[in-house]
Amino acid sequence: MPSAALFLVHSTQLTHLSPIDVLILALYFAVVVFIGFYVKGSTNTSEEFFLAGREMSAWIAGLSFVSANLGSLELMGWAGAAYQYGILATHWYWIGAIPAMLFLGLVMMPFYYISKTHSVPGYLQLRFGEGARGLSAVSFGLMTILMSGVNMYAMAVVMQTVLGWNMTFSIWTGAATVALYVMLGGLRSAIINEVLQFVLIWAGAALIPILGLIEAGGWTNLKANIATNIGNNSYTHLWSTLGHFKDNPMGINWVGIVFGLGAIISFGYWTTDFLVVQRVLSANNLRAAKMAPIIGAAFKMAVPLIVIFPGLICLGLMKDGQPLFHLVPGAVAKVTGQPAYDQVLPLMLIRYCGPGLLGLGITALVAGFMSGMAGNVSAFSTVWTYDIYGAYINKRADDKHYVLMGRVSTVVGMLISIGTAYLVMNAASIMDYVQALFSFFIAPLFGTVILGMLWKRATNWGGFLGLLAGTVASIGMFLYTSTGSAAHKAVALSHIALSADAQPMAENMFRALWSWLICVFVTVVVSYMTKPKTDAELNGLVYGATVIPDDGTTSVFQKPIFWAGVVSVVFIALNIIFF
Amino acid sequence: MAEGTGRGEALSIWFFVGIMTLAYGLVLLPYGAYEWFGVHEAPTVLNNLHPTFWWGFLLTLFGGFYTLRFRPRTAK
Repeated sequence: MPSAALFLVHSTQLTHLSPIDVLILALYFAVVVFIGFYVKGSTNTSEEFFLAGREMSAWIAGLSFVSANLGSLELMGWAGAAYQYGILATHWYWIGAIPAMLFLGLVMMPFYYISKTHSVPGYLQLRFGEGARGLSAVSFGLMTILMSGVNMYAMAVVMQTVLGWNMTFSIWTGAATVALYVMLGGLRSAIINEVLQFVLIWAGAALIPILGLIEAGGWTNLKANIATNIGNNSYTHLWSTLGHFKDNPMGINWVGIVFGLGAIISFGYWTTDFLVVQRVLSANNLRAAKMAPIIGAAFKMAVPLIVIFPGLICLGLMKDGQPLFHLVPGAVAKVTGQPAYDQVLPLMLIRYCGPGLLGLGITALVAGFMSGMAGNVSAFSTVWTYDIYGAYINKRADDKHYVLMGRVSTVVGMLISIGTAYLVMNAASIMDYVQALFSFFIAPLFGTVILGMLWKRATNWGGFLGLLAGTVASIGMFLYTSTGSAAHKAVALSHIALSADAQPMAENMFRALWSWLICVFVTVVVSYMTKPKTDAELNGLVYGATVIPDDGTTSVFQKPIFWAGVVSVVFIALNIIFF
Repeated sequence: MAEGTGRGEALSIWFFVGIMTLAYGLVLLPYGAYEWFGVHEAPTVLNNLHPTFWWGFLLTLFGGFYTLRFRPRTAK
């Protein structure tokens, strides 16, 4: 890839790769493809292909769990968001992830695990019947394919901007590599590569905050520089500016962050998005399944160091008393030629990393891109094969046929993603697009799953109609706030977020909150109007009707609850330190 | 059983982590030494700290440890 790419350079690139960078990138591609071929022999059954034989340890499942989410969108988008919104972007890593991950490990994993479901739609089928399964499978399939396309597009933009590579070349080369190793080794191959990619992302990106903080003269000096460059200190406080929409750069308040992000979007994503839950389902026993999200949470808390700090460092760098960088939104950058928010990470990489380290940093970005895509495509192929093809199209095929279907759908899914990537090229903002997707499907799905697990009275019709109502309401609100004149959009936004001062990011949070509430309301009302299931039918699926098996832990240091407590203490301490 | 790669396989997932980071360390360490001692530092900010050399050194240590610790062994 790299040697060929050198002939496809673009005239406005930020830098170029030296031979040692090319060697580092080539080594990475060689190893990931080798892994695909190496584990192919261990992926002959559907259980092996789609769930990695359910033999992963807590550490592997946990690292894979957090790595599948650490795609290029995460790295590039949130580094840009940190420049745009300051340290508030960290909420998406802390309150927007940690409580949900711990809840998944301690409360929800036992049900996913002991029900022996292959997927989240599969759990909905056991709990609410075919209607809820079909709806969630189709919406999930659509979402993952769109997400995968967004990931591809994001990486192609990076490669074009930084190295001048042709976008079509980047999309097809990355997609072909991921398709090859996932098709060969299924989830097992994806998980091994995700663990490897997680390490490489740190190896390639950790130098930026280290050198950046040295250049800035430490965190205290960096905060002072940011305050000077911005004119106030709202960019370096996590909570103290969230009293009102007007007081912070994001235009959001604490209600949106705590309830919209922390309680709905975050719980929806981390506990019901099959892309991440699938990694935990590969665990080799109940304790490992409970520990994996807790281990993932511990690592997730550290990710702002390589994502948020580069944005803050870029914001705080000065030259002759003036800001060194002046980044602008993507739409403005296209017109003026200035660097865009999303270019924070490459700009910092080039600032601190010469030949060799630059190759490692680019490899980290490529690794992030590939882990995100592999996560999407492996989850898509599982849901397609089990919950759409196997459930509605061909119910009686043998195991080998479903493995073959898994391999074929991996390739087809990747081709659809490539098509999506070309469509996304016309979208104005990558992050807004992703947020909109999340709140379409994830928020109502969380309402359905959580009621299904915790409330015995929820019925099949309640679950299905609640999910349908929440999803339709979410799409309806999106159309209401994103179409028509600018004046209409402003009025619509103030209705959804309950404030005339709300900004688009607040709209996403509140739309998720409303769609979840509508889902829960409809589920409860319809459930009371329809016949409940018996306890025997709900055994293994719902609290109160299930005896949770012992997870085999003997000492306190083996208990997931203990480690969840440790993570919680660190989480609270970090929020207080950066309050 | 090698952890993570399936029943009957010899190479553990951690071995891959080790060999990959060791390879990168062994590429970066001599190149960083060439930059430092041959006075060929790239014109990056803080290049006086010789980040390529030291990062290569750390990756070599990390990768070397994982490669040795999780190297494939013959089953007894």
